[in-house]
Amino acid sequence: MRRGIAATALVAALALAATACGGDDKGDGGTDAGGELSGTVTWWDTANDAEKASFQKIAEGFTAKHPKVTVKYVNVPYGDAQNKVKNAFSSGSDAPDVIRADVGWVADFASLGYLDEVPADMAKKVDSEFLPQAAASGKYEGKTYAVPQVIDTLGLFYNKKMLADAGVQPPKTLAELKTAAEAIKGKTGKAALYLRGDDSYWFLPLIYGEGGDLVDAKNKTVTVDNEAGVKAFKTARDLVASGAAVTNATDGYANMQTAFKTGEAAMMINGPWAVADTYAGDQFKDKANLGIAAVPAGSAKAGAPQGGHDLGVYAGSKNRAAAHAFVEYMTSQEVQVQSAKELSLLPTRTAAYEQPDVKSSEMVQFFKPAVDKAVERAWIPENGSLFEPLKVEYTKAITGASSPEDAAKAAGIEFRKILKGWK
Amino acid sequence: MTSTRTRGSRSPLASVGLHATLVVASVIAVFPVLWILLTSLKPAQHAITTDFVKEPTLSNYTYLLESSHFLDWFLNSVLVAGVTTVLGVFIAATTGYAVSRFKFPGMKPLMWTLLITQMFPMAILIVPLYNLMGQLGLLNQPVGLIITYLTIAVPFCAWMMKGFFDTIPVEIDESGRVDGLNPFGTFWRLILPLAKPGLAVTGFYAFITAWGEVAYASAFMVGDENLTLAGGLQTFVTQYTSNWGAMSAASVLIAIPAAIFFVFAQRHLVAGMTAGATKG
Amino acid sequence: MAADTSQSVVKAADDGVGNDSAVRGRSRWTDSGNTGNTGNTRNTGGLRRALATHWYAWAMVAPVVLVLGVIIGWPLVRGVYLSLTDANERNVARDIGARHIDATYEFIGLDNYTAVLGDPVFLQRLVWTVVWTVACVSITFVLGLTLANMLNRQFRGRAAYRMALILPWAVPGFVSVFAWRFLFNRDNGILNKVLDGGGIAAVPWLDDPTWAKFSVIAVNVWLGIPFMMVALLGGLQSIPGELYEAAEMDGASAWQRFRHITLPGLRAVSMTVILLSTIWTFNMFPVIFLLTRGGPGDSTEILVTQAFREAFITSPRDFAVSATWGVLILLLLMIFALVYRRSLRKQGEVW
Repeated sequence: MRRGIAATALVAALALAATACGGDDKGDGGTDAGGELSGTVTWWDTANDAEKASFQKIAEGFTAKHPKVTVKYVNVPYGDAQNKVKNAFSSGSDAPDVIRADVGWVADFASLGYLDEVPADMAKKVDSEFLPQAAASGKYEGKTYAVPQVIDTLGLFYNKKMLADAGVQPPKTLAELKTAAEAIKGKTGKAALYLRGDDSYWFLPLIYGEGGDLVDAKNKTVTVDNEAGVKAFKTARDLVASGAAVTNATDGYANMQTAFKTGEAAMMINGPWAVADTYAGDQFKDKANLGIAAVPAGSAKAGAPQGGHDLGVYAGSKNRAAAHAFVEYMTSQEVQVQSAKELSLLPTRTAAYEQPDVKSSEMVQFFKPAVDKAVERAWIPENGSLFEPLKVEYTKAITGASSPEDAAKAAGIEFRKILKGWK
Repeated sequence: MTSTRTRGSRSPLASVGLHATLVVASVIAVFPVLWILLTSLKPAQHAITTDFVKEPTLSNYTYLLESSHFLDWFLNSVLVAGVTTVLGVFIAATTGYAVSRFKFPGMKPLMWTLLITQMFPMAILIVPLYNLMGQLGLLNQPVGLIITYLTIAVPFCAWMMKGFFDTIPVEIDESGRVDGLNPFGTFWRLILPLAKPGLAVTGFYAFITAWGEVAYASAFMVGDENLTLAGGLQTFVTQYTSNWGAMSAASVLIAIPAAIFFVFAQRHLVAGMTAGATKG
Repeated sequence: MAADTSQSVVKAADDGVGNDSAVRGRSRWTDSGNTGNTGNTRNTGGLRRALATHWYAWAMVAPVVLVLGVIIGWPLVRGVYLSLTDANERNVARDIGARHIDATYEFIGLDNYTAVLGDPVFLQRLVWTVVWTVACVSITFVLGLTLANMLNRQFRGRAAYRMALILPWAVPGFVSVFAWRFLFNRDNGILNKVLDGGGIAAVPWLDDPTWAKFSVIAVNVWLGIPFMMVALLGGLQSIPGELYEAAEMDGASAWQRFRHITLPGLRAVSMTVILLSTIWTFNMFPVIFLLTRGGPGDSTEILVTQAFREAFITSPRDFAVSATWGVLILLLLMIFALVYRRSLRKQGEVW
């Protein structure tokens, strides 16, 4: 809170804020006993093509504060990152000092002993100054291993003009979506919704919508194959089979973006990370044409997963003091405000939402309440492991290669192999 | 009846059929490569469109050479494949000669081992090698990849060179003996110079095998600048990115030298491959 | 046991027997023809004599034996051992900076094998791998043979066709596979755009299990034809033309000539290329991995990609199960090699 007030007082003047942050760094000078930080900090970033230039610039800005530290920015495509990080960490050679980890990976990396604990004073700040649901993602067995950088959730992106042409409102439920789809198809001949079929993350809104979840961590129970789970698989198949949605089992993300950006599809489900790229599309030269709504509800409710990215320091890093300082810098308020302004990414610091630049971002203003309502996943080490087997079954179900019942059952079997001893 | 016609002459109808089939086959063979070439000349944001080149540009190439690690990957590939080839041929040459010329206890098991190891799926070695390299700190290092590729190159080179040595008449060895050379001298002074084309072909195969290897390269190498081409190109098209402009430009730059070389060398290559294999 | 003697050197040795002034190295060499025949029954003396006789051959193969032993033999043994443990990324030895974590995995016997073989997934992968291999090899062979026959005649443009048809071989495999993935893209790929122009609905090349299977086979055939074609062309050119002329004089039809001259003439080279391409296809990792990653779902996953998936894609990385798949694949290939060898033997081939 105290910091929040101070930051508000400094308004948006980045230079001023920067000096304030420099002061902060000196505050935890215990880590760099020799006085100044030096050496190289290698950061593996997983930002997408539209975001990476901005992040690289911000990251290299660290040198302005610590002239003796060189930041080496490496962009590792998100899709390969979990594996590459594991390879690098387990071999130790050329391993990065800092990684940007999907919130679902933190517990996994931490349980393998790869992450260095966040220094106590920073951990305290994480608890007091960050959104609680974001802070939770960086913890494993009660200790803080990563600092939240951005938070996100899925929303329904829609092309305002196409929906207006078809005379429909953004659908609030999947039932509405199906009726809207007919109007859109009738009026424009285009597909209503592009639903990714090659990534099981896109399955989560569907299963949450039916009131289900992948697992119930409290009771150590696999729930993907219960009634709600089966229903979710059915819904996925039904959306595609009924023609309300188109899907794709390979290159799904790129095809989805292309279809939405060129007006081949009127809607898609995506997260804030896609906003910058979407604005680059022909249909959104006028940025006002992009509308975002909550993901359509299933038969039970509307629900989208809470996602985001945390920054963690490699336990084997030779330059941990500088690495932790870098993480603190990258998650500082002014950096978050800058990312919100430039890339429409959501800050993880509570106070950042008070900043004018954040307040004026339409995307952030939409996504913030959505994030607050987002379904928090179980932060178990196996979290990231569930998606690969789920993807196989989700793709099978959505393309009609196996029945929803079989897909749910097979996913349950695979989950129980990973979560040994769970019901 | 065709049997009454002299060999080589065809009815016009057969001739048309022949050319039609070959044209279709050639188009199928060439088209993907050609399309990639065209795509590489389109502005990156139009890469995925199906128009022919409207505004030709070299921007994909400049991007590739200036803003990506393509040159690093290229050099890594050259280094890894090159060293693998040289070592593979060097280590395997005398063995190829020995199994071609002598019969000795252990030869049969050795031949079997050489044959079986060539059938080795990478699946059997990848996990133990991965753990081993990890413990030796050789993951993500060219040396680790070279050692790994030798598991493929050495048995292959030995087997193939045996085939080449088989084609060299035994009389040469005899003349060496008459001149008082021991088997090593015979091999070194007489046989090896004659086998140079064979060594070259063997080396070429070892090279392209290492050059095009995907599985080990994907699993062992991480971090932008350590990748080989096979791994590096994958970073252009992943689950969340599809930079087909850069991908196509990279493909062209890799394919052109390989293709030119291949077209000229292919006769020797096939002769070598079948000699190496059939004479087994 | 007479196999100890050098096949080709024996003749030379016999020639040299009478020459008493042979230098030392040479006389030892000369001996090889004789001692090998008799000396093997006595144990120690036999060993010493064998060493004296064969030391050069053994010295020559030593580098390869050493290398094979260290970088293949040892990992192989370790791989087999791993398949009998519960090793995964959580319990193998690793170094994190200065901290060393010791391995804690345990020997669990054949549990992994019963688990893998008891899972219907194994059979699914095996069946698809066999279908994939047989389909790829047979289609490639038939098309390669057809094209080779066409090119084995004199006509204008032959060299140009040959050049074009060989191109897929010249381009590194991973590049071509990416090219195909680009062409196959359902929404934006050129193939579907062309079909669309002809009024045909988009084909889900890589998005439907059946089509994806078709597509991966098509790409592998595309990649494999040039080798097959050029090898068979070499075989065709080595068949003496007189045979055809004689057959024509006897009034044999084109089909009869093909059946009774061409095919037998190609037997040796066919056996080789079929063996090679069977092994290559069975183990063909890049095409599947880069084109579909085994998908959609798991419909195009073959045995080797499955083994890779267990160790490097799923998490936690299950090294033991991956090693188990590896061992099973190796066993399958060895059975294949034995059967193949037996069939070669029956037909009088040497080894």
